[in-house]
Amino acid sequence: MPDEKNVNFKVKKEVSRKDICFSMERVPGTGRLYFGSSDGGVYDIDLTSGKPEAKRCEGNGHTSYVTGVALTEKHIVTGAYDKHLAWWDRESGRLVRRQMAHNKWLRGVELSPDGRLIASVADDMVCRLWDAETGKLFKELRGHKIRTPHDYPSMLFCATFNSDGSRLATADKPGHIIVWDVKTGKQIKTMESSGMYTWDPSQRRHSIGGVRSLCFSPDGKTLTAGGIGKIGNIDHLGAKARMEIFDCEKGESLKVLEGGDKFKGLVEHLLWHPEGDWIVAGGGDHNGWLLFIDPESKKIIREEKAPMHIHEFAFNEKTDHIFAVGHNKLARWELEA
Amino acid sequence: MMKNGGNFCGSTEHDVSRRDFLGTLGAASVLGTTGAIHTLVADGPNKAIKKKDRRVILLWLAGGASQLETWDPKPGAPTGGPFASIPTDVPGTHISELMPMMAKRMKHSCVVRSLNTHDGGHGGGAQLMMRGRKDEPALKYPDLGAVLAKELGRMDSPVPDYVNFYTSTEGRGSARISPAFLGARYGAIKLTDKMVPPNIRRLKDISQDDHEARLGLRDLLSKRFQQGRELATVKSHAAAYARVHGLMSSEKLFDISNEPEKVKAMYGPTQFGQQVLMARRMAEAGVPFVRVGRAWWDSHGQNFETHSEMVPELDRVLAALIDDLKQRGMFDNVLIVTMAEFGRTPRINGSLGRDHFATAWSATLHGCGIQGGALFGKTDKNGEHVTDDEIGAGEFFATILRAVGVDHQKEYHIGARPVPLVNPGIKPISQVLT
Repeated sequence: MPDEKNVNFKVKKEVSRKDICFSMERVPGTGRLYFGSSDGGVYDIDLTSGKPEAKRCEGNGHTSYVTGVALTEKHIVTGAYDKHLAWWDRESGRLVRRQMAHNKWLRGVELSPDGRLIASVADDMVCRLWDAETGKLFKELRGHKIRTPHDYPSMLFCATFNSDGSRLATADKPGHIIVWDVKTGKQIKTMESSGMYTWDPSQRRHSIGGVRSLCFSPDGKTLTAGGIGKIGNIDHLGAKARMEIFDCEKGESLKVLEGGDKFKGLVEHLLWHPEGDWIVAGGGDHNGWLLFIDPESKKIIREEKAPMHIHEFAFNEKTDHIFAVGHNKLARWELEA
Repeated sequence: MMKNGGNFCGSTEHDVSRRDFLGTLGAASVLGTTGAIHTLVADGPNKAIKKKDRRVILLWLAGGASQLETWDPKPGAPTGGPFASIPTDVPGTHISELMPMMAKRMKHSCVVRSLNTHDGGHGGGAQLMMRGRKDEPALKYPDLGAVLAKELGRMDSPVPDYVNFYTSTEGRGSARISPAFLGARYGAIKLTDKMVPPNIRRLKDISQDDHEARLGLRDLLSKRFQQGRELATVKSHAAAYARVHGLMSSEKLFDISNEPEKVKAMYGPTQFGQQVLMARRMAEAGVPFVRVGRAWWDSHGQNFETHSEMVPELDRVLAALIDDLKQRGMFDNVLIVTMAEFGRTPRINGSLGRDHFATAWSATLHGCGIQGGALFGKTDKNGEHVTDDEIGAGEFFATILRAVGVDHQKEYHIGARPVPLVNPGIKPISQVLT
């Protein structure tokens, strides 16, 4: 892992689009991405090619924003605000089937490390575990409240598995985080990151924020949650990006980190560097950024502007490239030592 | 004369509390025959209309609700956002999926989808929509509530003529309302942090007996003074005291605790729901105009999540108000209006927000004088422009007036200067009126 101070961090490719790209998964060993779009489409693009061109997968899988993409051995599995999961054949890019998965917006899908389960989270406040290939329901995880503390419909934004797939964490709008035992479906630990949720009782009388992203450390001992800090003017995403690191054993908050003044908005996605050297956060407000956190010192060690509000990103295997999708744009960065 | 009128009505800060009301009366007595004095004279040419007991409840969606997430959805368009549209009980009319209750009540409702109001500022847009036009440098116009308080109110009414709920602080300044030259007599009782008007309770150190005795004495002296004097000023002085006495006994209007649980449940537990229930109580008691400001819709960031919180609340409360008025046999006499200072941009910004947009947006009318199921105007496939039946704030203002039987061509007079209720040439939308 290069010394972060000496990394040369360059955008090598930008692809402008008219849509909003909410979700992605990189095809291992390549620069190819499958990404989900605001136009309801699922697209295939190679960001390492000279002139990347997005090819839309065939079939009417979704009718609204595609907010989750996962790659199983045979399929591309996608989830969308239309409440459906869809399975697409990886070879042909054609729709295999779609099924109603939730009663409200489906916010994301995650594949278990062994590739056997798909977790989907939605604003019906249920996390459902599905057989990744057949789509058969395996388990329902219920524990998030359906209303916010101020009696409005809540939202269940994100889920993530730990590295051995035995645990799954989910997080909602008021900042309630639950760690589940995947096999039994029981709650192991709960944590609160209420600093991510802003309710304005006097000026504007609605809420904003929530925990938008989660990632376990490779050893599973800590869990990092991402979102936005308390917002003064909730018309805008006008607060610093916020991350909170929890001790999974004790369920205690270890550290709260905030982006700099120029790095406001939501932490939409969190990733541990494959070698465990960094935690990387991507997100934004009207603009976008990537933040790099040293897990040892639990400090933000580098902040980089991005060409768009980032919704999801991934490293390649060598960790010398980052691929990202976001608002009206896709991008690839190169990290040179 | 204008200057006098302006000084008389005072600023928009004139809350009509009991003492303000009497203070205004004193000023009126001094000013004698100014244009403002006419406003204190008893029933004029609208006597017949007033007998019809027409009322208006305005749900003011402060900050600018998105037309795309409410009344003019564009599912599948690049600008459409993530929500689907749903069919309604009016064939061919679809609204946002966030409004399933209103979808079953569109046969009672009229949607105007073709507002182009040219002002994307909160202050300018609010002034425009509440007055139907911009103020002139030398002439400030009264707002809709003040006009209807004058046109629909009764001199001897024991209840307020104009009540304005605006609890959230954001936008309260930019949504300023004013009776302007009509005078504070037609200004709103403004309810902000409290649900009950200030200063309407009898002072603790004055017993009820003392209070009644004072009233009797004042009445006796007043009647003696009036003998042989037929001046309008004297009459309005007495009427003003009667109104103040009425205001002091109107506290129960603001108390929904005795409403049946079933009714309260219809409106829901939110502050907005409670205030709209109060508005219904007021309309029932004879208050001609109530504005309930629900702030704050200004969703530059996370527009869809904001609307997924706020639109279902609007859906529930508006549906409850329609049902409640119908159950009480009041729906044909009460006009419900939903509008804001503008709508929101079709373009979705990087924060998943929508910004201010006055070029093509929607408002609604329900009840009194309105054709249920009417759909007026059309926007293009992305919601960026009006394609059919474009109207401005003036036409919408005139439509509200006509719906409750007020002649939009009527003129007030400030001294010798005629001031029409709407600008010359402005017409109501006849297609949506009964």
